[in-house]
Formats: sequence, structure tokens, C-alpha cells
Amino acid sequence: MDNKYLDYILKIRVPVTVFFIILSFAITYFVSRPERDGIGYAPEQPIPFSHKLHAGEMGIDCKYCHTSVEKSRFASVPSLNICMNCHTVSRKDRPTIIQLTTAYQNNQPIKWKRIHRLADFAYFNHSVHVNRGISCEECHGDVKNMDVVKQVSSFTMASCLDCHRNAKVKLNYISSINNGPENCFACHR
Amino acid sequence: MENKNSGKEYWKSLREYYDPEELKKIKHDEFLEGAIDFVDLESMPPISRRKFLALLSASSAFAFAACTNYKDKGEIVPYNRQPEEIILGKANYYASTLNCCSRNCSVLIKTREGRPIKIDGNPEHPVSQGKVCVRGQASILNLYDPDRLGEPLQKLSEKVFSSVSWKSAEDQIKKSLNEAVKNGKEIAIISRKINSATALQVLSEFVETYPTAKLYFYDVLTNKNQFYAWKECYNLDSVPSVKLEQAKVILAIESDFLNSDGDFVNQTIRYAKTRNVDDLKNFSRLYVLEGNLTLTGANADYRIKLRSDFIREFLFGLINEINKRVKKQLTIPYNLSQLIAQVDLNVVVKKFNLDEKVIKTLVEDLIRNRGRSVVLAGNRLSKEENILILLINEILDATNLYDFSQSLISLSPENDLNDFQELITKIKKGNVEVLINFDANPVYDLSNLDFKEALKKVNLTVTLSELKTETASLSDFILPIHNPLESWNDFQTYLNVINLQQPVINPLYNTRQKESIILTFVYNEPYHEKMYHKKLKSRWEKEVYPKIKPAVDFESFWYASLHDGFVNLTNNQNIRPTFTLKNFKGSTKTYSDRILLGIHSGAYTFDGRFANNGWLYELPHPITKIVWDNYATVSPAFAKRHNIENGDVIEITNGKVKSQLPVFIQAGVCDNAIFLELGFGHSECGEIGRGVGVNVNKFLNLSSSSRFFDYVSFVNTGKKYNLVTAQEHHALDDTFVKDFHRKRKIIQEGTLEEYEKNKNFIQAERKELLSIVEEVEYKGVKWAMAIDMNKCTGCNVCVVSCIAENNIPMVGKDQVEKGREMHWMRIDTYFSGTPEDVLVSNQPMLCQHCDNAPCENVCPVSATNHSSDGLNQMAYNRCVGTRYCANNCPYKVRRFNFFDFRSEFANDYQYREPLNFLNNPEVTVRSRGVMEKCTFCIQRIMEARQETIEKGIEFDGSGVMTACQQACPSSAIVFGNMNDPKSEIARLRKHDLAYYVLEETNVKPNVSYITRLRNINSEGV
Repeated sequence: MDNKYLDYILKIRVPVTVFFIILSFAITYFVSRPERDGIGYAPEQPIPFSHKLHAGEMGIDCKYCHTSVEKSRFASVPSLNICMNCHTVSRKDRPTIIQLTTAYQNNQPIKWKRIHRLADFAYFNHSVHVNRGISCEECHGDVKNMDVVKQVSSFTMASCLDCHRNAKVKLNYISSINNGPENCFACHR
Repeated sequence: MENKNSGKEYWKSLREYYDPEELKKIKHDEFLEGAIDFVDLESMPPISRRKFLALLSASSAFAFAACTNYKDKGEIVPYNRQPEEIILGKANYYASTLNCCSRNCSVLIKTREGRPIKIDGNPEHPVSQGKVCVRGQASILNLYDPDRLGEPLQKLSEKVFSSVSWKSAEDQIKKSLNEAVKNGKEIAIISRKINSATALQVLSEFVETYPTAKLYFYDVLTNKNQFYAWKECYNLDSVPSVKLEQAKVILAIESDFLNSDGDFVNQTIRYAKTRNVDDLKNFSRLYVLEGNLTLTGANADYRIKLRSDFIREFLFGLINEINKRVKKQLTIPYNLSQLIAQVDLNVVVKKFNLDEKVIKTLVEDLIRNRGRSVVLAGNRLSKEENILILLINEILDATNLYDFSQSLISLSPENDLNDFQELITKIKKGNVEVLINFDANPVYDLSNLDFKEALKKVNLTVTLSELKTETASLSDFILPIHNPLESWNDFQTYLNVINLQQPVINPLYNTRQKESIILTFVYNEPYHEKMYHKKLKSRWEKEVYPKIKPAVDFESFWYASLHDGFVNLTNNQNIRPTFTLKNFKGSTKTYSDRILLGIHSGAYTFDGRFANNGWLYELPHPITKIVWDNYATVSPAFAKRHNIENGDVIEITNGKVKSQLPVFIQAGVCDNAIFLELGFGHSECGEIGRGVGVNVNKFLNLSSSSRFFDYVSFVNTGKKYNLVTAQEHHALDDTFVKDFHRKRKIIQEGTLEEYEKNKNFIQAERKELLSIVEEVEYKGVKWAMAIDMNKCTGCNVCVVSCIAENNIPMVGKDQVEKGREMHWMRIDTYFSGTPEDVLVSNQPMLCQHCDNAPCENVCPVSATNHSSDGLNQMAYNRCVGTRYCANNCPYKVRRFNFFDFRSEFANDYQYREPLNFLNNPEVTVRSRGVMEKCTFCIQRIMEARQETIEKGIEFDGSGVMTACQQACPSSAIVFGNMNDPKSEIARLRKHDLAYYVLEETNVKPNVSYITRLRNINSEGV
């Protein structure tokens, strides 16, 4: 073989090929990190509400605050009057509760950071899942033990279908569970 | 295989009738010419490759620089104090009343998180029974119209306005009002007819406070001739509705009772009950006598074409003929009996060249079915013609069919057009100091009078209006008012029921309730939002509550009434008035050699008060399918004689009044007549309605007994105008033969007689079809729809309901021309017969959700595929826009977003706030480059499914109603689970008369049609 050509292969072709291979691996790795799906996202909230304290230690039911989870598509973030059910009396002196009370009294909304988000073209329905007996932890993780709520599972179509296709295995604690619908219109309309 | 009954050749338009070759070419191509033309490179600004790359890299650099934390998912802002009745994601329904026309229909308004998003009829209401007309469906758009006025405006100079505070406007107006009273000058208040006793009370209080004030009421599409006729014949101040559901023979004379005349909704509900193929004994026969071809004429079993001014003579003849045989003793004035005796029906038939056989059958039918035959009079007829029709009904014992429990009343007086003429004279003399337009638009509505000039002579003109109308833009003050969905009110159009109107949303702008504005001048107290509400409630406490005497206290009664949206009054309903006619004005002269001008209500635009509502403009006209225009309709013979073609602009002249309109040649229209439609040609109103069509109100006749007819002359200007029709678009695929609609069984029709003889006549013609694919078995729920063509009148309410439910954008005239309209559902119209004597077949066409859907096989990305419950699904986020599916669809029901039409149409109009609030949050707003089509209202299916899961029961498919089904006034659409043997849909799928469009393609549609039976005599006219 022509030395010059071998030289060209070794000096240019191989490094370029190797570079592109590494680059594509790097990009694939970077893009497919669970973090890209939002896993581990735990933003700081305007009021450091602790689910661990309320839902875990005090054992308040999820549905006490997320009122519409059994009735509607949305679980709903509680309106301030629900917080005030207790906090008109309890822990009134804490600075964050004072912050909450002021906002409530001045009719100022509190802008919570959104943690879990599906794309707008997916019409996920909380009530059909919860009413079938699927627990909140299935998607939201062990919120009862989170001081700061973070996203635990991926909210991609693949993870939806994972359950929809293997319900009997994934949700073996529900005896009557069947596989979920797999057709497009189940979520997209 | 020959279908005996329909030896007709169907054609969709006159162009097809005369030139099938040209049309074949159009149909051969997937899209109309120009539809896929996209960019004209020549017209693009010159930009070099280098510059393009530089811009591209710069913009991407900026984009990267602007990138924030990709993890950020935005915020969730909950309510501070969440209203108790609101559950996020669940709709709330409120009963209220609309103000679309003088009928004031009771409706149920769907709101989501406080935003009204859909209007349907109030199911509990005795009149509307859960249905509402096209305008009612579309009126939701008016609420969010970005062109609505949001601030009071004061005129600075010609056409220049500046916003002004309510306080300052009030003060200045009040000053002028007081001055007018001091100087003894008139304060004129012009209003459309008001059916609200409370509003009328407010106005009369205003007159008490300002004694020089005078009230003027008008209704362009008046029905007062009917009231006059009833007063003279029966001495009644009300007009009963007709129990059409009990009628066997209906003769509609110039009465478009299935679209624009009278209470369309109630009449359609009643009429549809008589077109039940499972109750052949009571199957009605509809005769229509008319000049123009209306939707009612299109539904007729026998249509008698007669120029509208000859109707009186025909009526004389008909009465003569019938009474000769029935011999009923009548107390009628001598001159009337003379007039009747003079006219022989046979002579009339010969004179006007009517079909003898048809007339003979008509007379036979009317007499044979005495007590169950009825003649309906159109609103547009004169008082005398109305009286004659009442007389026929009296002879035919049709009085049995009068429904006095649903009598129409007229609360407000209605002024004659001549009163307005006098007002203008007074204004010109300088006797009117202040003119208040109480949500009225006289400059447009009464443009046959000279309001435009007169307004200049008034010291102060105040206009209360939602939009900047023609009148408003000539006024000194424009006071913006609430939309009906933001207002309180009560309306009484029927003797036995009062409707309540309640706000379903807080005012979007700095507007005020129009009655409250008047009250601030009466009470001399500052405005507050509850002002009129208080008035309304106190009137109900004093006047309505004691009348009804419910067992509860007033507060409970009030809230119960608000909840229901109406209260029933118990009136003496067993009145049997006797016919006593004292005198009758002789016949008027007709001129058969002159050209008759007939003015109709706009098929959807009505009298033009929905000036800026694009849904109504884009809805194809029920007969001509023309969009975004009105035009002069003439008959083919007339056009031939005068050498005019479609789109020629003619100038119509009536005395001093002149107007130029494009011509549309329509089969089935009477000769030597021109027909115009109202509701177009606004010069001011907003982005959408400005300059659409021509204002023809100026042709309204001042002197004659009916304002809708006159004699005119015309000249051809030689100009051309482009009328756009949606008719020839998406024509179903053509073969070489001309009568393909029949051969391919798109339209199948039979006669009642044929069906009675042979129940199997449709099924017998079906062939066994070979399938190349394996049959899929559907277990569980399988969705299907059946459309009963006997009940469907082609009224288009379903189409608008679909638009509102599924976030369908407007595209504009230029795009419709290219075949890019986005309506998921359309009404196809097929004509058969000859251009002179035309038979019309309407057919709602929507995605057929075929089991073997041809669109699914060709999608390269499988964006459209089949669901396990038999739906043809469309995943927008997967679609890449190849349009193969649309090409392969035999029904041409797929719609492609060639643009983001929301931004493409009318300067971003559909992206302007607050129009985004109108969107149904359960349906994706589609963007450019994706295909879309009917989904069988999947959002409603999923909602029903959710409810069953919530209750823990199995989903059997009951309780789902598609938007079109819910809206259909004749209940022609049935939707449901065909695997449920108990369901109505399962029964209809197996019905003897069920057929599938283009069945031989073996696509296995899930929409079936019930064959239309024409109730035609065996003589076979």
C-alpha cells in the first residue's frame, strides 16, 4: 500500500472517525441522561412546603389538599384557602406561615414551581388512574418522605406505555387491573 | 340493479350540469388549482445565500444566548380562594338566555374554569328543548371578539375618537339630556325590539324622568304582519305555534320555516318528528310554494315554484277551490268573498304555468287530511296574505293544530318604518336634541332611510354598542356594553314562559350593562354592577312571583328560576278563538312584466347584527354554498335571457336607490326575479365583517304592505366579481359517467310508497364484497354513527357546533377558494332534475371512521391508525404533513393546515386576546403542517369513560353525545356503541333503509345513512 495513503488514513481518517464515534456516544449519553427527562428536578419553592412533614409525619391524606384528583383530569395544586384551613390557627408565628397568611389576605397568588409536566398534546387523566386504585407513588415517588419534592420517574410516552403494557406485573397490588389502552386517542386528541 | 325511484341524474352545481368535462378535471386532481401553490419565488425579497447563512447563524446564536434553564417547567398558580363550584378540568353549566334575535332562546352555557366555551340549547326549556340555532351556537365568538369595544369613546372630530372616562361621558350626556328637556326638544331612543319587560320598564322610567323622550323600536326582519293578521281574524295579540308533529300535510307558503322563518329550532324539532321512517302512518308530506329556493324548499316533497308577488292570486284560487268542495260557512267580508269567487284555481295554474298534477294532488291532500293539514305563512308575506292563509287553515280545520300553549307575543311595540321617516324629518328640522341608540344600528339596519345625514343634525348622539358599528362611528359618544353572556335580563317571547339571563363571566372589559347605563340617568346615582340586577329582582318579586304563587319564599324561587333559566306561567291555554274578519283590503296590483326584488333574511347572518362573526360568514350558504359574500340570485332562464353569467356585477336600481351586486345563477329560482340576502355589507364593525358583501337593507320597501318585495330594474355593469363557493370542493371522486352520485350510491333515495311495498329495496341492491384484508373483530365498545336523511334538513347547526367544540379556525375567502376550508363536517348538496325544476339532496359528510380506512395504509409515519374501539385516530404530534391520507380518502373529509390559519387570517385576528379563551381546553389547537379531521368528539368519549371509572362500573358506551349530535335540532344524528344490542345505533345499523356511502369500495364506514324517503304520490309527479 502506498505509504502516503496509509499515512492519510492514520493521520486523518482514523482520528476523524474516532472523534465522531466518541461525539455521537457523548451526545447520546448527554441526551439520554435521566436528568434530561427531568428526573431529579427539585426546584426551590416560594414557600418551603414540606410534604415529609404534612403527608409523612402528620399523615394527612394526599386527597385532602389535591382535592380534584379523583374527580378530574387534574390533581390540582391546592388553593390557599385549603392551607388556611389549618394555618389560621396552627404555627401562625412562623415566618413562612406569615408569608402565606399575608398572600392569602392580600389576595396574591403564590407561584409554585412546576415539577411534573407532560407535553400539552398528552391528555393525562389523574382520576381514571387514581380511581382504578393506582397509587400516587407509582409516578410521583415517595413524596411522603421528601422535604423538597423532586421528580423521580420519567414522564415520557415510553414510561406511560411501560405500565399500560405490563400492568399485571407493574401494578400487581391491584388484583383486577388490566392493561391500559394503547391507542393514540387514549391520550392525544 | 337499477334504482327505479331515482332515475335522476345528480349534479352538484350548474357548472357541472353544463360542463362536466371541466369539473372532471377538477375532481381528478387531489387539490383545487392553486391549493398547493405555495410560494412565488419571484415575489420573494432578494436575499443572497451568504446573507441568509449569516442571519441564520446570528439568530441561532441569539437563541442559544436566550436559552434559560431547560429544566424549568414554568409555574403553577392556584386560586387564592377557589370558588366552591369549580373543579379544575370539569365543566360547569349555567342556564341563560341569548339575545341573537327577537326569539331569545334559552340556552345552557358550558364554562370551564369560569370561561364560557360552548353554547347549546336548554334541554329543560319547553320551546328550545336543548337545541339552538346556528347563530346561537356561533354567538360565543361574539363574547371574545377582539374587536369589541372596551372603553367609552368620545368623538373628537370626524372618525377620530378618544377614550373617555365613564364619569365624564355620563356628565356630558346628562347635561345634554337636561338641556333638551328644558328647551322642550325631543330625546329619541332607538332600539331593536325588546322582549324584556324589565328593560322596557327601565326605558319607560327614563321617559318619565325626561318627559321629552320618545321611544322607537324596529325589527328589520319583522313578523308584525302575522300579529296584525291574528288581531284582525281572531282578535288575539299573540300568534300560536303550530303542532307540526301532528300534521300530515304541510304547505309552506314563502315560509322558510326550516331555516330563517319563525322559531326555526322549535319548528325543526316538531317537523322532524313527522319524518320518522318507523312511523310511516304519520309520515308527513311537505309542499313548499316559493319564489327563491330556500332550505325549506330543498326539503320539500313537492316544490311549487311561483314568483312571490303572484302568491295572493294563487291563494284566492286555492281558497275558492277548497271551499267549493269543503263548503264551510265563514263570516268573511263581502268584498273578500267576491275576490275569491273571481279567481279560478285552474286559470291561475295555467296563467303561472304551474304543474297541474301537483296542484291537484295538493288540493286533494289538503282536503282529505282535513284537521291534519296546515298552511304555514312566511314572515315576509303581507298582512293580507297572512289573513288569507289563516282563512285556508280555518277551512281546513287546521285550527286543531294551533298550539296556544306556545303562543308568540310581542312585548314591545314596533314602529313602522314610516315613523322613522318622520323622526328623520324632525331631526332635520332641528327638533331632536339627543339621540340614544340603545344597542341599535339604524344607520345600517334602516339604510333605506337617511340616518347618516340626519345624525349630523342631532346635537348629541349616544350609541350603546358592543362593536364600533356604522351608527357608533357617527356618534358623539360610544358607550360599550356587556355581551349577553355578561348581562342580567329577562325575556318573554312566549305567553307561557319567561326566560332569565344571567352573567356567566365577569365583564371582560370596562363595559356596562346597557339597561344600567339608562338607569344611571334615571336615578341620578353612580353606576354599580348590581344596579339592573336589583331592578330585575325587585320586578320579579313584585310581578312574577305573585303570578306563579310557588310554595317557596321568593329567594328560593329566584335561585331556582336562575338555575332552570326560565319559569313557566300558567295561562288559560284552552282558548278557542273564533274567526271573525271584519274587512279586507282589496288586492294589490302585480306587474308580471317587471322584475321582482325579493329580500330574504341572511341564511346565517340574519339581519346583520352578528356583524363581526366570522364563523357565520365562513359557513357555506345552505343552497348555493357561497361563503363570505351575498349576491343577487337569479334563475338560469333569466340569466340566459339577459345574457349574464355567474359573477357578473349588476346594478340594481329602485328609484333613487342603487346598488351593485354579483350575480349567482341558482337552479330552482322563479323567473324574472332577483333575490337578495340581508346581513352583509358592513362598512364599520371590526376586522372580520368590514366590507364583506353588500348592504341590501336600502332596498327594504317603505310603502308596500310587505317591506321585503319591490319591483326594480337592473343593468349589467360589465364588471366581474369573484364569488367563492364551497360547493364543488372535495367533490367525491368522479368516474366517466355523469350520474355517478346515483351509480356510486352516495345519495340513495326512495319514495314512501316504494318502501311500504318493499321494505328491502335498499338492502336488495347491496352486493357481497370481497375483502383483501382479514376482518378485525371488535370486542367491547365500537363506535358508530347513523344519520337519518329523512330528518336532516341541512341546517348546518352541527357544523357550527363542531367548530366551537373542536377549535376549528376560520381561514377566509381566499383560502376557501383554494379548497382549504377547515370544517371537519360539511353539508354536501346534490341537485337533480333540471335547472328549472330542481330536486335537492343534502348530506352531512364527516370522517366515516372506516374499518378498512384507506388513509391509514398510506401514512408513512402511522400518524393515522385505528383504535381498538373502531375510531380512525389522528395523532397530530406524529403527523409530518405528507397529505397522502387526504389524497387517499374517498370522502374528502381530511383537512390540512396549509398555514397556521390562526395567524394567517385577518392579521393574526385569531391569536388576539381574548379569543384564546374560547378554545376548548380538551382539544389540541393544531398548528401548521398537520392533517386533521373529525374525531367523533374523542374528548367527550374520554370524559364519559372517566365518569364510569369514577363510579366503578363498566364502560358500555352509553351517555356519549358528539357535538353535532347534541346540536342537531331534528335529532337526525345518532351516535353510540354498535356492539351494545340495546342501543339505538345498533338498531339503526341494521335498519332496512341504512346504507353506506361508497360502500363498494369496501372501506367499511362506521357512519351509516338512513335512506331519504320522499313522500310522493304514485302518480309520480
